Amino acid sequence: MAAQITAIVIFVAMFVMIIMDKIEKHYVTLGCGLLTLIAVFGICMQDFGAMWNTINLKSILTAEFWHTTGAETESGGVDWATILFLGGMMVMVEGMARVGFFNWLCRRIAKMVHYKTIPIFLAFMVMSFILAMFIDSITVILFLASVTIELSRLLKFNPVPMILSEIFCANLGGSATMCGDPPNIIIGSNLHYAFMDFVENTGVAALIAFVFIVAYFYLVMHKELKGAGVSEEEIAKMPSPESFITDKTGFWVSLVIFLCAVILLITHSTTGLTVAFIGVAVALVTLITSAKHIKELLKGVDYKTLLFFTGLFVVVGGLEQTGVLEIIADFISKICGSNYYLMVAIIIWVSGIASAFIDNIPFAATMVPIIKELSVGSDPLLATLAWSLAMGTDVGGSATPIGASANVVGTSAAAKAGHPIGWGEYCKKMAPATIIVMLISTIYICLRYVANL
Amino acid sequence: MNEQLIIAVSREFASGGREIARMLAKRFNINYYDRNLLDEIAAEKMGNIERLRKFDEVPKRSFLSRTVRGMSSSPEEHVANIQFEYLQKKAESGESFVIVGRCADDVLSDYPCLVKFFILADEECKVKRVCESRNVSEDEARNIINRHDKSRRLYHNYYCCNQWGDAHGYDMTINTSRLGIEKTADLLEDYIRQRTAK
Repeated sequence: MAAQITAIVIFVAMFVMIIMDKIEKHYVTLGCGLLTLIAVFGICMQDFGAMWNTINLKSILTAEFWHTTGAETESGGVDWATILFLGGMMVMVEGMARVGFFNWLCRRIAKMVHYKTIPIFLAFMVMSFILAMFIDSITVILFLASVTIELSRLLKFNPVPMILSEIFCANLGGSATMCGDPPNIIIGSNLHYAFMDFVENTGVAALIAFVFIVAYFYLVMHKELKGAGVSEEEIAKMPSPESFITDKTGFWVSLVIFLCAVILLITHSTTGLTVAFIGVAVALVTLITSAKHIKELLKGVDYKTLLFFTGLFVVVGGLEQTGVLEIIADFISKICGSNYYLMVAIIIWVSGIASAFIDNIPFAATMVPIIKELSVGSDPLLATLAWSLAMGTDVGGSATPIGASANVVGTSAAAKAGHPIGWGEYCKKMAPATIIVMLISTIYICLRYVANL
Repeated sequence: MNEQLIIAVSREFASGGREIARMLAKRFNINYYDRNLLDEIAAEKMGNIERLRKFDEVPKRSFLSRTVRGMSSSPEEHVANIQFEYLQKKAESGESFVIVGRCADDVLSDYPCLVKFFILADEECKVKRVCESRNVSEDEARNIINRHDKSRRLYHNYYCCNQWGDAHGYDMTINTSRLGIEKTADLLEDYIRQRTAK
């Protein structure tokens, strides 16, 4: 009992500190993680086995960690596969950014549509959706927002609606694949789902929702996007997309590495290569092929996020090992009974609403063991709940300016350029879009999965 | 004036601080910046002036904001930082000016030519001024004053080392209810001339 209370107090304190945003997030989770190890496992439980299980370093030394044979492995605590994969992808993305890949891509597409505002608006939504399927949404929005602002100055249109639509599509695109959004990596690596499992399930939901969302944003925003337009002469004067490539050989190398990473992810259930392996492999290849720029690439890696994850997994491990998450799962189970429609609705909407206000990563990390408990023995139910959790956490975050990292990065870029976006304006456009996608996701999951349970 | 002079005027709401700042700018023949600072910023950045004004001197709502990789979601914080950077740029260029609020007392504290004043007034005087200018009751005027002063204090104290209105942070804090606006301006002008004559 003392261990459970201590674990809950540490968890709540961690969440409050993350929300208050006074201390950097990674210090909060690492500090709370250390406290969990000492107070929960060391003092209350005096169980060093549980402590060791939560730190979970031994998992890295197993062959299953790098190449799966299909055998089920039970592991809790720190999800090193997620951390290594994220770290590896960060190195690869840094490599792509260094050679000017994203700048080139954004400008190439703008040029393709002859710098016309509405076609740029539509094309950037599609690009945001597709890129976010494979690359973290922060990077996608960093580049898209900065190019959008530059184009808005040239073409004299209001960049805010375009940035908002890009943010939403990045979050939606992230829900379509296992590597698109951190909650999906956590769900996938913990519940042993492959890249294609996500594509075939959340990917379909995201694609259906994307069609509706493009129509919604077009209807709501097209009037605000009327620009002055540019003449053919002005277009001719614009710098060519190729001029943004800083290293031609490096550009092609990074493109090949990116395509290999995509292929490895798509085929990883067949090849048996785990996401940890893929992450480490792409990072190593990127570093080897950019040997001169290793320092620069490693400097660009967001270590704070990786440390944030490490501490977070330990705190959630504390809740798991003390049985707190089991109690929450029992509670949800009692409310729903065998009404799986209600269970799915609760998972999607509670995840969605929670993710709109709090970081969706700790939320997803906490919910994964809960949905495992809820679906004991039933794989179809587990999968249904996993897709519900993924859609809820990934999409719900779009509703408010603080719900997801891409929102913060996008609104920050807009504000720096003299277009600050308040909560009212943001939510007026983005909350209805979020509700539309959540409704589509609920209907999709109920019809496709719950009806067949 | 040959020597650079920057006058930072912090003020309580309805204390007459803005009028005094305008008078000083006129007397020293230097630029006056207040809300108009955002007009320049909007023109330079091709930003939206209405949006910028909405968050001008508004305290950050920490509970409703989040930071990711050093980037903040708070529009209030961004507008404040944009103005601070712009003020730094102006000061660096050697321009002389009067700036009202916007944490200039702290943001430009590295400049020896900075003269900092805090203007206050007795509550009755402030209430009277608000009643006349806004045609509201005394209670409403008090509410308006309290709301504005609370907002200015929170805004200032979030970004600055010194506390809003604390005499230690300024060259002089002065109550306009004693001498009136005009004579207070005379006194401050005299102080500036003596300080810059050194």
